[in-house]
Amino acid sequence: MSHSKLAGIFNKDEKKVDWHDKALWFVRHKRDLSVHEVKGWEELRNLGHGIKAHTLSHLDVYLEQFEANALKNGVQVHWAANGDEHNQIVHGILKENHAKKVVKSKSMLTEECHLNPFLEANDIEVIDTDLGERIVQLAKEQPSHIVLPAIHKNKLEVDELFQEHLGTKPCNGDPQYLTGEARKHLREKFIHADAAITGVNFAIAENGGFVVCTNEGNADMGAHLAAVHIACMGVEKIIPKQEHLGVFLRLLARSATGQPITTYSSHFRKPRKDTKMHIVIVDNGRSEQLSRPDFRASLHCIRCGACMNTCPIYRRSGGHSYDATIPGPIGSILSPGKDLTKYSTLPFASTLCGSCSDVCPVKIDIHTQLYKWRQIIGKETPQPFIKKKSMAAMGKIFSKPSLYGKVGAVARWALRTLPKSLINSWPNIWGKTRDLPVGPKQSFDQWYKERENNKKDDQK
Amino acid sequence: MDSRDTILKKLKANKPEFIALPKINLDIFDENIDMVKEFIRKVEVAGGKVFEVTDNKEVLSKTQEAFPDTKVNFTNLDDSGFFNTIDSETLKNPHKLNDLDVLVLESTLGVAENGAVWLTDNDIPVRVIPFITKHLVLVLPKENIVPYMHQAYSVIDPQVLDYGIFISGPSKTADIEQSLVIGAQGAMSLTVFLV
Repeated sequence: MSHSKLAGIFNKDEKKVDWHDKALWFVRHKRDLSVHEVKGWEELRNLGHGIKAHTLSHLDVYLEQFEANALKNGVQVHWAANGDEHNQIVHGILKENHAKKVVKSKSMLTEECHLNPFLEANDIEVIDTDLGERIVQLAKEQPSHIVLPAIHKNKLEVDELFQEHLGTKPCNGDPQYLTGEARKHLREKFIHADAAITGVNFAIAENGGFVVCTNEGNADMGAHLAAVHIACMGVEKIIPKQEHLGVFLRLLARSATGQPITTYSSHFRKPRKDTKMHIVIVDNGRSEQLSRPDFRASLHCIRCGACMNTCPIYRRSGGHSYDATIPGPIGSILSPGKDLTKYSTLPFASTLCGSCSDVCPVKIDIHTQLYKWRQIIGKETPQPFIKKKSMAAMGKIFSKPSLYGKVGAVARWALRTLPKSLINSWPNIWGKTRDLPVGPKQSFDQWYKERENNKKDDQK
Repeated sequence: MDSRDTILKKLKANKPEFIALPKINLDIFDENIDMVKEFIRKVEVAGGKVFEVTDNKEVLSKTQEAFPDTKVNFTNLDDSGFFNTIDSETLKNPHKLNDLDVLVLESTLGVAENGAVWLTDNDIPVRVIPFITKHLVLVLPKENIVPYMHQAYSVIDPQVLDYGIFISGPSKTADIEQSLVIGAQGAMSLTVFLV
């Protein structure tokens, strides 16, 4: 389904859309307050951009260096060309360790690979331990935001879900009570887990270590109790040196939620005694994205979600309208690289206002890339009939000033004279939820000429 | 060819021409901040408490004052036998620590810009302990506070570190309608004593 159709579904509940819009704008505002406190913020963003650009230009070398160091640290390293291979590797590790119960902290990569359904089909219990992810898991949904997975749900919906699945008492959506109950429920799961799966925020080539950031402490609760820790990362998570964390940890949380740093920034390097640590390095389309000069900078992304919070379309259409693991502006430049036809409407889900590029902590030119994808999609995928015809007609009109003048006069007359039912009839998608203005008597051109003439008259 | 070689080969073929690594000039960020004051402010913003004390003895007496009715306590501060209720054997089995009420640990590094306190395997008896405890108390010498993350990483040796964690405030979540709730999966409170 197209983005606009799915957005239409989200927009049926107008009150919810208003709340969603304001809640995310509030997060954006907290980001602003937080970054304005940092002296040299723009330089920090430049560094983030520069370090990532350098790393991508040397990616194979850094990955090999990372692998060699991780192996030295007693960590086992696996490589997966795609999502299926990733899932099979993870399943293989679990099987080898007779692991039946798994706790997972937030990892957009495992969502991208659809790991949960794969493991569940193989009789393995997977529990998402980030509260927001647990909520969407219980609701059998996907996260709608990469940092705030359950932002599309209100507290009453969470209340109902918890009553059904965790046996909680009705509480009118009291967040304190519900979080406390989730804590008890997840503690049980942590204590009895055979294995823990985490994502990776940053993987450090020079020492084979990796960093995982959470606010809840769920990644650490899982990884330090279970006998096996599997960390899954995309190839682009590499940074050359530990000192570069100084740049990225300053950028990440401020851009994401306005916090100066997440509550926990965990640096894993060697497994604890008598336990195993595995790293799965995944490509799944990333090497192809690297080959596209116009779009490779999308691989700089550190998954802060700032572009979603600021996007006027995302805030009003909801994360599920993108029908992709990574929604929002960054998702709209990543997804077409994976499946141009399926995601052909995403680059159009933008006003091209550029706010996403302005808040991006690693200065990805998101809105420029959205525009560039449009050019490709316009050529390579079939466009809706009305759009195609109206674009062709507009092209003709705009190229001939005399025709433009005539059509303008007719349009102004029509907007003044014809009934609304005709103006907003089905070919006019704009008129679905909006009214066009009353047509002025003059065109701008006529108004301007008249004004110039009046000036001359005055001077006489 | 296995996936490792396929991936590496593709990345090598598809990567752009070499781009130099930018140099980090720390002068750009320096603001000459009052580090202790900034550190305290940031811990408090993150939901933690900070007290300035004279020595470790005062740390433990203040901790007992703050948490008077706890059953299970542990610290690795010197001369703290009276405070500890669990022995080193119990510590070896992390699964038995679920009822830990108060944990007091010493740190050697704090960051002013975000109130983060650094712990490594050297500071913690088992890795899960600062997360599984109900209340976390950290002791930090004032002179070990650095202004920014850059300076923090300059004192952490990447080749020596086995596991390390920056902790800023207690565990928290806002996943239910964006309402902030302190005490998600990790510690429900954080107190920092500056000595």
